Amino acid sequence: MFWFLSAPRPLGPDAIPQHQADLANGALMFNIGGCLNCHRPDPANASANAGLPSGGAPLKTPIGTLFPPNLTPDPETGIGKWSELDFVNALARGLSPSGDHAIPAFPYTSYALMRTEDVLDIRAYLMSLTPVKAEDKPDDIPLPFFLRRGVGLWNCLGLPAAKWQPDPQQTASWNRGAYLVNGPGHCAQCHTPRTAFMTLDETRSLAGGPHPEGDGNVPSLRGLIERARYKDAKDLVSAMQFGETFGYDKLSSGGMGAVQTNLSKLPEADVQAIAEYLVSLK
Amino acid sequence: MVKPASILKTMPVLAVLAGLGATFALAGPIEDRQAGMKQVGKAMGAFAGIAKGEAPYDAAVVKTNADAMLAGMKQAFANFTPGSEKGPPETYAKPEIWSDPEGVKAAEDTALKAVETMAATTDEAGFKTALAGLGEACKGCHTKYRRPKE
Ligand code: HEC
Ligand code: HEC
Ligand code: HEC
Repeated sequence: MFWFLSAPRPLGPDAIPQHQADLANGALMFNIGGCLNCHRPDPANASANAGLPSGGAPLKTPIGTLFPPNLTPDPETGIGKWSELDFVNALARGLSPSGDHAIPAFPYTSYALMRTEDVLDIRAYLMSLTPVKAEDKPDDIPLPFFLRRGVGLWNCLGLPAAKWQPDPQQTASWNRGAYLVNGPGHCAQCHTPRTAFMTLDETRSLAGGPHPEGDGNVPSLRGLIERARYKDAKDLVSAMQFGETFGYDKLSSGGMGAVQTNLSKLPEADVQAIAEYLVSLK
Repeated sequence: MVKPASILKTMPVLAVLAGLGATFALAGPIEDRQAGMKQVGKAMGAFAGIAKGEAPYDAAVVKTNADAMLAGMKQAFANFTPGSEKGPPETYAKPEIWSDPEGVKAAEDTALKAVETMAATTDEAGFKTALAGLGEACKGCHTKYRRPKE
């Protein structure tokens, strides 16, 4: 029964739409997705591979230290041999080509909401990078097989049932912001508290709570104007773009600094869209 | 009514406002470094106001605030003393402050240099460049060595 419930549910070939890859959009999604923050190179060869997601830098989590893998197109140690479907299954289901479940420290329960076209653009962008040979390093708490399958059980509860759906009552810009925040931006992974099952507590979406890496608390993104955290949406835009440089002091600790750097690289219209969505959360 | 404790906490700021530029030693290292950092944050707020166009650029205001910031920083950095890892009062300094002294020293030196660069600026273009460097210096240290508050 356990086996049946938690058996991997890979997507089939019909999940891949006809699509002309857009490298610029892939770079944008890679940036707001924060892929490089976790898949950054092993500090030992960081200067040689600077800016490339060759993986191997330690990622501390409550279950131990993980080493996110190499995302460059090296055929042996990277994703060079992965098909489009392999890649989509990794981001939308947390499944490796061999069918193993990824540990959800990789925020695929958010990426699962992404448009498949955007995921394919990330893959195209990654395939355009310089391949780096960097062997996968074993995690510091190698989970036994049965526990990996336990992740699959968790998946049945934690994986969203559908892609992000736009709200026709709202503006195009609000919908763009909602998509970036909930899908690629995976802001909920830190800003939404978790249930006893470690899944995101959607009834308290983006309401803040204990830091998932056990590092103090994460503030709420609701009522940012009402609580006088920011004067208006424009003020929030400048906070996300400039952070501490403009004297905003709550955008650097607990992993937010790297997120703010990524936000600062987005086109201004996207930052405005994110602000429009966030200030609508009461 | 204002509680005595909160008067004490605002004293360094009041001192700066009064043009004394001096800082006061408070109860203990945690209070002292937090008061120092608050003074740094206050000066940063003045710079931010100019950068956002809420206040006019004024070289004298920049210099006064850079001096206050330098004093606040020195007070804060002098108070990451061994034994003050845990409060009360609640501290947001991460244990890495004490386990990685070399990294902390580098972050402090970068920040002190950035304030000195700011203090030496004489025009608005120089101010803006210096501010970008200063913001990175705060962010660099808070990213690694400070826990979030809420
Ligand atoms: C918060 C950290 C984090 C972020 C952000 C992140 N990853 Fe990962 N990723 C991981 C970890 C950890 C693993 C390894 C999981 C495991 O070992 O089970 C991983 C694994 C993967 C895998 C392999 C999955 C498998 O099943 O073998 C792919 C592909 C991947 N990530 C792509 C991405 C892309 C693309 C992005 C950006 C859109 C991204 N990751 C962002 C942490 C992260
Ligand atoms: C790795 C965890 C993490 C992720 C992912 C994350 N945040 Fe944060 N965020 C934090 C923490 C921690 C703070 C508090 C930082 C501090 O106090 O220095 C914060 C603070 C903020 C603040 C300031 C809140 C205030 O009260 O002023 C905003 C705005 C914000 N985040 C927006 C976002 C957005 C938008 C995203 C997604 C694109 C996001 N965050 C993703 C951890 C995260
Ligand atoms: C070398 C490290 C370092 C640098 C550089 C640094 N800070 Fe801090 N800052 C800290 C630490 C650590 C704390 C938490 C102190 C505590 O709670 O004990 C802190 C706390 C703060 C606080 C909160 C104070 C309070 O208790 O309310 C503010 C505001 C602040 N810093 C502003 C700044 C600004 C602005 C800059 C740059 C001009 C800056 N800091 C540079 C380490 C640093």
